[in-house]
Amino acid sequence: MSELAVEVKNLTKVFATGLSKDYVVAVDNLSFEVKAGEVYGLIGPNGSGKSTTMKVVLGLMAASKGSAKVFGLDSGDIRARNEIGFLPENPYFYKHLSGAETLKFYGKLCGIKGSELKDRIAELLKLVDLEDAANRRLGGYSKGMLQRIGLAQTLIQNPRLVILDEPTAGVDPVGSRQIRDLIMKLRDDGYTVFLCSHLLEQVQEVCDRVGIIFKGRMRREGSLDELIAIEDQTAMTLEGASPELMEKINALVAEDGKAKILEQGHPRTTLERLFINIAGKRKENAENE
Amino acid sequence: MKTILQKCPRLVLVIAGLALFGFIREPIEDRLRVRLVEEKLLLPPPGQTAMEQMSQSALMGTLGGLRSLVAVFLTLEAYEHFSNKDWEQLSQTYAVITNLEPNDEEHWVTWIWHIGINATANMEIDDRLPEFERKRRFFAYALEAVDIAERGIKQNPESATIRMQLAEVYREKLKDNCATSRVYGDTIGLPDALPFVERFHGYFMARCEGKEQEAYDYLSGLYRESERNHLPTLIVEIKKLEKFLNIPIPQRIPDADPDKRPQKSNRKKPAPNELPGGLIIP
Amino acid sequence: MSDSNATTPTLRPPTAKVPLFSLGRVWTIAASTVTQLVRMKTFYFLLAFALVVVAVGNFNIPTTPAKELSMIKKVSFGTMDLFAWLFAIVSTALLIPRDLEDRTLYTILSKPVRRIEYLVGKLGGVLFVVGVSLLAMYAICAVMIYAREINFVGAEFEAMKADSSYTQEEIAEQLTLIQKQGLRAELGIAVLASFLKASVVAAVTIFLSTFASSSLFTIIVSVLLFLIGHAHTMATNFWLHQSDSNLFVQMLVKVIKILIPNYQLFSFSEGVVQGEAINYAVVSQMGMLTGGYLIVFLLLSLLVFVDKEF
Repeated sequence: MSELAVEVKNLTKVFATGLSKDYVVAVDNLSFEVKAGEVYGLIGPNGSGKSTTMKVVLGLMAASKGSAKVFGLDSGDIRARNEIGFLPENPYFYKHLSGAETLKFYGKLCGIKGSELKDRIAELLKLVDLEDAANRRLGGYSKGMLQRIGLAQTLIQNPRLVILDEPTAGVDPVGSRQIRDLIMKLRDDGYTVFLCSHLLEQVQEVCDRVGIIFKGRMRREGSLDELIAIEDQTAMTLEGASPELMEKINALVAEDGKAKILEQGHPRTTLERLFINIAGKRKENAENE
Repeated sequence: MKTILQKCPRLVLVIAGLALFGFIREPIEDRLRVRLVEEKLLLPPPGQTAMEQMSQSALMGTLGGLRSLVAVFLTLEAYEHFSNKDWEQLSQTYAVITNLEPNDEEHWVTWIWHIGINATANMEIDDRLPEFERKRRFFAYALEAVDIAERGIKQNPESATIRMQLAEVYREKLKDNCATSRVYGDTIGLPDALPFVERFHGYFMARCEGKEQEAYDYLSGLYRESERNHLPTLIVEIKKLEKFLNIPIPQRIPDADPDKRPQKSNRKKPAPNELPGGLIIP
Repeated sequence: MSDSNATTPTLRPPTAKVPLFSLGRVWTIAASTVTQLVRMKTFYFLLAFALVVVAVGNFNIPTTPAKELSMIKKVSFGTMDLFAWLFAIVSTALLIPRDLEDRTLYTILSKPVRRIEYLVGKLGGVLFVVGVSLLAMYAICAVMIYAREINFVGAEFEAMKADSSYTQEEIAEQLTLIQKQGLRAELGIAVLASFLKASVVAAVTIFLSTFASSSLFTIIVSVLLFLIGHAHTMATNFWLHQSDSNLFVQMLVKVIKILIPNYQLFSFSEGVVQGEAINYAVVSQMGMLTGGYLIVFLLLSLLVFVDKEF
């Protein structure tokens, strides 16, 4: 049986609203597991309880009921936090520190020092492509750069689990793609990734397993294939098909009696992909010139 | 509900912790405060009158632990009153200053000097007032200065400078030789007392009616005590008393040796604010 | 979905063990706090202080040199004390709520950092900056006092020497009077007194900021407590020892005395500046009392902060 990176059992989190006796149930009896080495996505609309769940896993919040464990340790345990690298949504770091100083600060908090820390900082700055901006103060960083330095910060102590809260929120498509590529690389490097997002397409691209949360409850959970496959439909994409061939195919389908063609036409790319292509080509042209 | 329950005991715990610490530290702090006040490192709280007389900013400063700072600014304010010859305001300001820093002898000395010397001097020349009023106020200020000095001495029982300033008021303004002598006498032996107070005690006793014999015995004692005391004034005073008391010639002291005129004979007339011994008063 | 699903990557090994409490982490947070305060250009207030000292150094009141030196000292050290506690309140009140508002706290506390380490680090950083600021202010004061002292002593010596009637003894006596109010090593204890006071103020402020909703609230409440903390000896004398005070007032004064620190006790720098003899045993007891305040208020802060949800 593979090791569990995150184990959430019957988690319930209730918030009191002000001084009145009203309560809001943010997470309601939620249970799920993240296996070591997989990329798990917790998806749901804003206010569905994703971030609360994440904060409980991080030990930033206490569960009202139930438990959350990280590699078998209680989420509030300091040793559990050493196994976690966390990137909050819109990460804010000390603006008075430079990128390298930020990594140094977090590295030292994790007990890394000396040449080991120096090497690790250089390695991470390279990984997130911020070597040129290493000595610039974060006050002058763009949103995407902040997100990338944030990602570098999550990895500073070589954690086994990386928790990402809306990792691409507010980042432009190119930056978003870079972050997605980084997540894939993390998976390939043996990290366990647990991410929260409301951007389904993004989750679809990187996650092995997905949990869909709504109003604090787990609605569906499983591998991505299981969740998105439509069992009674088959898709076929042809290239260079003549109108005659299409006619023949239509005739064959009509002969069958049971099957029917639901949709026919030219496949479309997503706007996001189009933007990335254009941006990528522009960048290539500029480099060639 | 659980959140509320979780928070309630925490709040109670915090208050209980604060209270427990408060009960533990209270006797310790009380003891420390007494010691600090005894050592004059900490000032006792200002009196109710001083608090009432303080301006808002001075009060805030005092409450903020900045009593010295407030006292200095009030000193500047008092100087302004002195420049305007506003003696009532000046006295009120010094009442607050000395309440703020009762252990600072300098404040008392300056207050006595302003009221006992400057205000009285002003009354001698202030032609805006009729003579009768000037005389009345002259004595009122001089007596106020005596009262201030007595309060200052109560706060600083070992202060020689306050006593010397009081003696000056008796000597120069009230012309009360007996009181002058008494005050110089009280100053003898105090930590900061200058050597001349011993002689001055005798000189003014010599001028105090009915105390001539006592003064003679005292000054002769000083004369016999050390050759260093064979100063011209002392000799002159003893000579006067010998004559007044009809002391038999053989018992009289020799006249002052003109060759032994002290080094200070060429000394300039002392400045009005200079006391014997070279102490310059404010 | 990722194609890398096809190959199974080697899982990462567990991270190195972390100590349950680490002075290194406290130090890191303290050092970062110092950097933060320095880069917030907080030391600029030293310029304002230098201006005050220069202005005070040029007081023009016809008084004795000793009295003038005493006034320069009182204003300089009073201002130093004021700047120290005010700085302690403002900087402490800005740090934690700001970390919370900026969510920097999320990333810090999601690392293997204990909340007590964070609080101690923040307090340590503030106290370090307060200490350095006090030393810098003391240096500015010392230069001014020394310059004025040299000036006064020189002028007095020349004046007395020109008037040939004064003996060496008399001149020495007069100069000693001035020097007694000049720069003396004991003044260092006045700086220490201000530091002890600022430390207690910072500890109380950090406690307040753990449950306060904003920096402004923390600053206002801290200043109020500071004023009450100075007044309660006065209030105790006035109300507790008067038989005609009603029971409610007496109870209130007692509760205030128990719950609010006695800041007035820490104002012993005034006596030191005035030139009173220092009893080092009492000073060391004040140091221990300060230590007690720091420990208790840190523990109380932790009691609130440990359950705080972000």
